[in-house]
Amino acid sequence: MGNSTRLIVMSLVVIAAVGYLILTGVKQTGMQYMTVTELAGLDRAPKAEGFRLDGTVAPGSVVYDQREPKLQFKMTDGKENISVVYEGLMPDAFADGREVVVEGSYRHAERAIYASKLVTKCPSKYEAKGLGKDKS
Amino acid sequence: MSELGRLALFLGFACSIFAVGSIAWGLRTGYSGPLRSGRRAVWTVCALALLAVILLERALLARDMSYRYVAEHTSKDLPLHYAFSSLWAGQEGSLLLWLLILSAYGSAFLFAYRKRLDPFYDAVAMVIATVMIFFTGLLTFVSSPFRILATPPPDGMGLNPLLQDPGMMIHPPILYTGYVGFIVPFGFAMAVLLLNRSGTRWIEEVRRWTLFCWGFLGVGILLGARWAYVELGWGGYWGWDPVENASLMPWLVGTGFLHSVMIEQRRGMLKTWNIALIALTFELSIFGTFLTRSGVLTSVHSFAESNIGPWFLSFILISGTAATALILYRKALLESENRMDAMISREGSFLFNNVLFVALTFATFLGTTFPVVSEAVTGTKISVSAPFFNRVNVPIALALLLLTGAGPVLSWKRATASVLKRNFVLPTVMGILAAGIAMPFGAEGVYPLVCIFGAAFVVTTIVMEFARGIQARKSSETAALPAQVVHLVKKNKRRYGGYIVHTGIVLLFVGVLGSSVFQKEAHAPLKTGEALHIGPYTLTLRGVTERQKENAILTTAILGVERGGKLVGTEHASKALYSKSQQPMTEVALHWTPAEDLYMILGGVNEDGSASIQAYINPLVSLVWGGGIVMVLGTLIALSDRMRIRREEKAG
Repeated sequence: MGNSTRLIVMSLVVIAAVGYLILTGVKQTGMQYMTVTELAGLDRAPKAEGFRLDGTVAPGSVVYDQREPKLQFKMTDGKENISVVYEGLMPDAFADGREVVVEGSYRHAERAIYASKLVTKCPSKYEAKGLGKDKS
Repeated sequence: MSELGRLALFLGFACSIFAVGSIAWGLRTGYSGPLRSGRRAVWTVCALALLAVILLERALLARDMSYRYVAEHTSKDLPLHYAFSSLWAGQEGSLLLWLLILSAYGSAFLFAYRKRLDPFYDAVAMVIATVMIFFTGLLTFVSSPFRILATPPPDGMGLNPLLQDPGMMIHPPILYTGYVGFIVPFGFAMAVLLLNRSGTRWIEEVRRWTLFCWGFLGVGILLGARWAYVELGWGGYWGWDPVENASLMPWLVGTGFLHSVMIEQRRGMLKTWNIALIALTFELSIFGTFLTRSGVLTSVHSFAESNIGPWFLSFILISGTAATALILYRKALLESENRMDAMISREGSFLFNNVLFVALTFATFLGTTFPVVSEAVTGTKISVSAPFFNRVNVPIALALLLLTGAGPVLSWKRATASVLKRNFVLPTVMGILAAGIAMPFGAEGVYPLVCIFGAAFVVTTIVMEFARGIQARKSSETAALPAQVVHLVKKNKRRYGGYIVHTGIVLLFVGVLGSSVFQKEAHAPLKTGEALHIGPYTLTLRGVTERQKENAILTTAILGVERGGKLVGTEHASKALYSKSQQPMTEVALHWTPAEDLYMILGGVNEDGSASIQAYINPLVSLVWGGGIVMVLGTLIALSDRMRIRREEKAG
């Protein structure tokens, strides 16, 4: 076997191994990226386990037990909403109306996401709003 | 003043276009006049960018709220040093900093080669100036930092509390120095192709520039990790967040290049591959800026959603296509001079290393952009996060760790059985021994054991290499061992600097292993006098205080830290409530020891007056930062090696 053949074989082996890792990785850890309306509209329990949702914190829905710590709130996309249960400290930037991303498993019977990860997007009020127009 | 700023940027745009046009004309015709004018235009852009930065800094420091940028990112109660660093808190200022560093690289490059009259260097400057057109254009027409408000507000909106951290003052400039610097290797590569140059001298120059920005990028990444660790308050320092991945990708490809470039220097092989790696590193650093700034992917580090995304994507598309087309067009120039003799050789291991680095980058890229990719391919948006990267990247990284040990002790061309025996038996024994020793301490599972085996293996090979080097010189030397080591390193800075970098990498791996696998967590609401137990530590709440800071109210839990019944320290875990944004910010208390960090967070104060405390024990985190420092040291040593260039200059 020539060296260039060996080289190709080696590369193929690496590519196959990495491809295998990626495929099984996606299969086992991949999360369905859904909107709140899509998830709330499901009439049967979905097959997939992991979900990722974007939305905002419905004002007035936040219940936070600092002692556990356990955070519960409703997440909304303006039309529908979904309960979120997160066992962990409330992120600093978390508040009513903030944009959040949650990842976790969906329990259809409770219509709730049990989040393993909760990311709060930086509040948009830091960006240009409310400062009015430019001087022309 | 804002008109002056805008004018400076517009003139910068015009000068960049002039530089490209003038140099192109000079290269075509062979006249030196246009080349000289082009060089001067590059210097001018640098001066103009500096002027723009000074004007914006003046406005920031004076809190001139008529500037939109100042009103958006500062407030009157913001401490002066954070007003200074808010230059890179927002998009427009960050782009301006990009431009300043870019044009500074252009000028530094021209200064370094001012005595070389070879038009090759002008061609490199032309490539750099082309990128300057893009950034000055963005700053002039799309995203100007000098926008003036029709009605200036009485006070600004304040700096995001997350960015009010000493680490944030240095992290972005250092990261950018790394990112932006890859323009120089890219310029070299494109110039070689444009002028159809053969020869290898440029390769050594590219290697040094790459090493320089690679070092900065590495430090920038670690500073970002450190910032996340002390500022985000979730107990970790790396979360495979899109922005973190974005900075890691060019570093990975750059690392691959720094290895494979040795094969090209030594054996004249892999030329196409190396140029492709340089181009990829550059494109990935632009892509990184794009991810950080565009907000396409949700990230804890991205602070803006903006309109510059399409511009960046177009730029990546156009420059990437141009680079690919040039490589294909000059295929003949990039013919390999030698063939691979055997797979089990230095070349073979470097090649394997390269394939793995590119695979690692690819996996990271795919994971980062997976929602976009999967939607395009299958129609459903699938997202992956940390578990995916741990599954895919960890085994690849471990394979690379093993190669770190194996590569340097394999001989060039072909490694014989006796070489293998001489170099591999002892490291393998030490590796197995280390893994065996670690097992009773709770190290279980394949990956942790492979990591410990690999770490011991690599360290042993490095010690053996040093020992062999000293032995070879021993006949004439009788100095003490440390002096001999120093002498040895000085003799071949590149080689031993590289080994020192490898040592840093090993420390980093062990630190990551310790802090990820052996992390402990505990939490409880504590009343004054009550205690929380975690590992060998007992945390007793001494009390909760509240005081006014410059622009925030600080609530602090004072914790007595005992270890084995002995008081070892008093720590302060706080929450700051910033007056401008009404946003709370966790300020972590760190009880640092070389072996482990005790990491304490104040969750909040409850109605009954108890304080919710969360604590982590993160073993060996200090090795992550320590490994970084060792890597910097090794990089500096390798960079200080000028011998080879001089030798080659004499020969040429």
